[in-house]
Amino acid sequence: MAEIIIEVNNLAKYFPVTRGLFHQQKIADVKAVDGVSFTIHKGETLGLVGESGCGKTTLGRCILQLIRPTSGEVIFEGRDLCELSDKELVPVRKKLQVIFQDPYDSLDPRFTAMDIIGEPLRIHNIFKGTEYRDRVAELMNLVGLAPYMAERYPHEFSGGQRQRLGVARALALQPQFIMCDEPISALDVSIQAQIINLLDDLQQKFGVAYLFISHDLSVVRHISDRVIVMYLGKVMEISNRDELYKNPLHPYTQALLSAVPIPDPAVEINRAVIVLKGEVPSPMNPPSGCVFHPRCYRAFADCPKVVPLLADAGDSHQVACLLYETSRP
Amino acid sequence: MTALLEVRNVKTYFYTQDGVVKAVDGVSFNVNRGETIALVGESGCGKTVSALSILRLVAEPAGKIVSGEIIFNGIDLLKLSNEEMRKMRGAKISIIFQEPLTSLNPVLTIGRQISEGLEFHKNMSVREGMQEATRLLQMVGIPHPERRVHDFPHQFSGGMRQRAMIAIAIACQPQLIIADEPTTVVDVTIQAQLLELIRNITKELNTALILITHNLGIVARYAQRVFVMYAGDIVEHGKALDVYHTPFHPYTAGLLGSVPRLDEPRKTRLQPIEGQPPDLIALPAGCSFQARCAYAIPECHKEKPPLLEISPSHFAACWVSQKGSRSWQK
Amino acid sequence: MVSSTNTTIVNERPHHTLWGDAWIRLRRNKLAMAGGIFIIVLTLAAIFAPLITPYSFAHQDLNAILENPSSKHWLGTDGLGRDVFARLLYGARTSLAVGIFAQLIVIGIGLPIGAVAGYAGGRLDNALMRFVDVMYGFPDLLLVILLKAILGGGIYQLFLAIGLVAWVNIARLIRGQILAIKSREFVSAAHAMGGMGPYITWRHLLPNSLGPIIVSITFNIPRAIFTEAALSFIGIGVRPPTPSWGTMISDGYAVIFASWYQVFFPALAIALLMIAFTFLGDGLRDALDPKMRR
Repeated sequence: MAEIIIEVNNLAKYFPVTRGLFHQQKIADVKAVDGVSFTIHKGETLGLVGESGCGKTTLGRCILQLIRPTSGEVIFEGRDLCELSDKELVPVRKKLQVIFQDPYDSLDPRFTAMDIIGEPLRIHNIFKGTEYRDRVAELMNLVGLAPYMAERYPHEFSGGQRQRLGVARALALQPQFIMCDEPISALDVSIQAQIINLLDDLQQKFGVAYLFISHDLSVVRHISDRVIVMYLGKVMEISNRDELYKNPLHPYTQALLSAVPIPDPAVEINRAVIVLKGEVPSPMNPPSGCVFHPRCYRAFADCPKVVPLLADAGDSHQVACLLYETSRP
Repeated sequence: MTALLEVRNVKTYFYTQDGVVKAVDGVSFNVNRGETIALVGESGCGKTVSALSILRLVAEPAGKIVSGEIIFNGIDLLKLSNEEMRKMRGAKISIIFQEPLTSLNPVLTIGRQISEGLEFHKNMSVREGMQEATRLLQMVGIPHPERRVHDFPHQFSGGMRQRAMIAIAIACQPQLIIADEPTTVVDVTIQAQLLELIRNITKELNTALILITHNLGIVARYAQRVFVMYAGDIVEHGKALDVYHTPFHPYTAGLLGSVPRLDEPRKTRLQPIEGQPPDLIALPAGCSFQARCAYAIPECHKEKPPLLEISPSHFAACWVSQKGSRSWQK
Repeated sequence: MVSSTNTTIVNERPHHTLWGDAWIRLRRNKLAMAGGIFIIVLTLAAIFAPLITPYSFAHQDLNAILENPSSKHWLGTDGLGRDVFARLLYGARTSLAVGIFAQLIVIGIGLPIGAVAGYAGGRLDNALMRFVDVMYGFPDLLLVILLKAILGGGIYQLFLAIGLVAWVNIARLIRGQILAIKSREFVSAAHAMGGMGPYITWRHLLPNSLGPIIVSITFNIPRAIFTEAALSFIGIGVRPPTPSWGTMISDGYAVIFASWYQVFFPALAIALLMIAFTFLGDGLRDALDPKMRR
């Protein structure tokens, strides 16, 4: 496997919930991310799936220090990003970029396309004059936009085109890693496919690694090399893509996969769906032991008592579930 | 057997500063008793406006149902007075909206919102209405319904709010339910819960269902017949199995090709539809899909194709399809 | 490799910049345009006053006291024989100067404070806003009078007095705007690119707050004008011989039964100028409101 570029160790982000009129007292913590560890390798796409409240977006932002984690480490180029100040992070940010979800909100409506794509170049003082314009034109071509549109404003582009602007902007500094935070959820189905292909092509061309955050399992399966499944701030399962979809071990993963209908009536007519009971609990008050146990259709006596650890369950396949824990030290 | 609902050539236009938006431009479909059909398409295709047109909920004066007929149980809904139409809504035809947070009144309890319809249509008293509301909440799977019936919408989670919407929709035992993107805002596991619930209930009550969505998987699982919409027209319709396995319109084929499937071996590249959806104010002459169609022939630019029969239950609006060559089918 | 069919622009409508779009909408608003034109005409008249009237605002002709409007004195003369029309024109200079320069002070103080409070948040924001709240507790006019009394002097001190009281409004407004914009994703994007606080504030937060700020300023100007007139009326505004509509009213008040138009013309002038700014402000607010863009 290729070298590791980012190492996340025991990352946690708690949001305090306070109450009180004059003196704010902390009554609880929203454990958005609760002890997550994994690695990202050069040029790979790591898919991060989970439903709302699982902490995937918070996790992505914590890795990039857009939100400062409560505890844990994010090791990049030998340094722990959590320890660096905002100022020290500035040169590092050239190599770690983001594509956001909302193509309408992630672009400044007062900037032209050229301003938007070139902003990273301007912030880091790279290129001036004609070199700058050439680079922007090159980036526009790379994402399939015509350079003559550089003077246009975001409201003059369609949703898919705006997302392409976001991709071009993320590429401007030739990053090693791009965090894609639900980059296609806000787009129409036919446009989604365009952007997925684009991201694929750019990865092949430039060897950039992606953390692809999404709730859409079919898309994640298509684009990822490895997949992490999260629930209520914890990792339930990590695996190679093919292995995960062929042989999901964690009951939550199984339910998640079963919940996705296949666009083929012949298949669906006979397929049974695992319907989980209950709602996703509030992250303010997570269940004891295994956070999934209240909804788990395979829960047993120990589940509310013991927090399962992420353990090996085969070739680069890890799962956090008591069903697979053979022994406890 | 006559259809429960027959929409005939309905046109709904919006009059804006920049021109006329032909949101629905001559759309016809029908729904039989107890059947589930799907209106599928991407944003702007007109599926939601079509649904709103049935219930005459299109916002006037900007929007107007310009022509057509909507025959429900033999009566043309477009010819009813406002008063008569109000008796239909919620009683004979009800609707489940996409976003329960904005569709529910934040200052009324869930129970009152369910019983509102019962009080209006079935002349129940508030107490009777609340009792029935409790029973309905149980039916839609809300635990401790006798307590929760007094809760306010913000005390419910997203999935539960949607269940409450379903309860409101079935309260007066309508013959037809329209579900407008009912699960777009909820998570996938909740989506599974809700859709299975809707299916069970419609089967139990023998209610017809119009499912409006952009999700091809949902359509495949829950709809018997499918109507594919693009830029205000229906471009293909038929039995779900036929439309999915042998699409006769390049757009349908394109949609199916854009979506990765969990059960198939992983393709290395998706087959997206190039370009983007057209501006509804400035539609081209001829077929609305021509700009993005890889198979367009000269006719496509001249005249808009009508829905042409392929088999008695399968229609497509495409000149190329008529000519016989359908290279987009696998 | 990459699809090239995204070269067509979806909106085949004419290309406008955002300001261009706002200007078009403003143009359509007749009242706003009328107001704007009135202000421009008055400003030009004030600037070119010496070319328009041969009289100075201070020249007294004690032989021609309280004369009615005539071909010699278009709007008559006042109690000291001074030409009313000339005093109106030169008085416009005072009013407009106060309107504009007081605003410069308002922006100079209010903008940085509001921007810092909005961006920094936390305790700094709290402290600044509590201070603003305290200032809000005092009645505006009284505070201006107090300040002017302390500062003494003439027109420059008046700018200062008005500015030092009116900045709180803008500060609060900007802070609110910045708080709202801070949470937008393009701000996170700028952060992710390596942008720091001052850069983000200057290039993203402030430009996107401009709309309401411009509207607020347009409404603040007539308030400043009125404040000056009121202060001059009670005698602590500008000092003679500086002409002022307020002073004209105050002087005219004494002889109101002899010659009502002494009060009427300056009062009318004040009213018209304030209405003009108000129409313009309303029009600007509609034109700059992004939600009203289709």
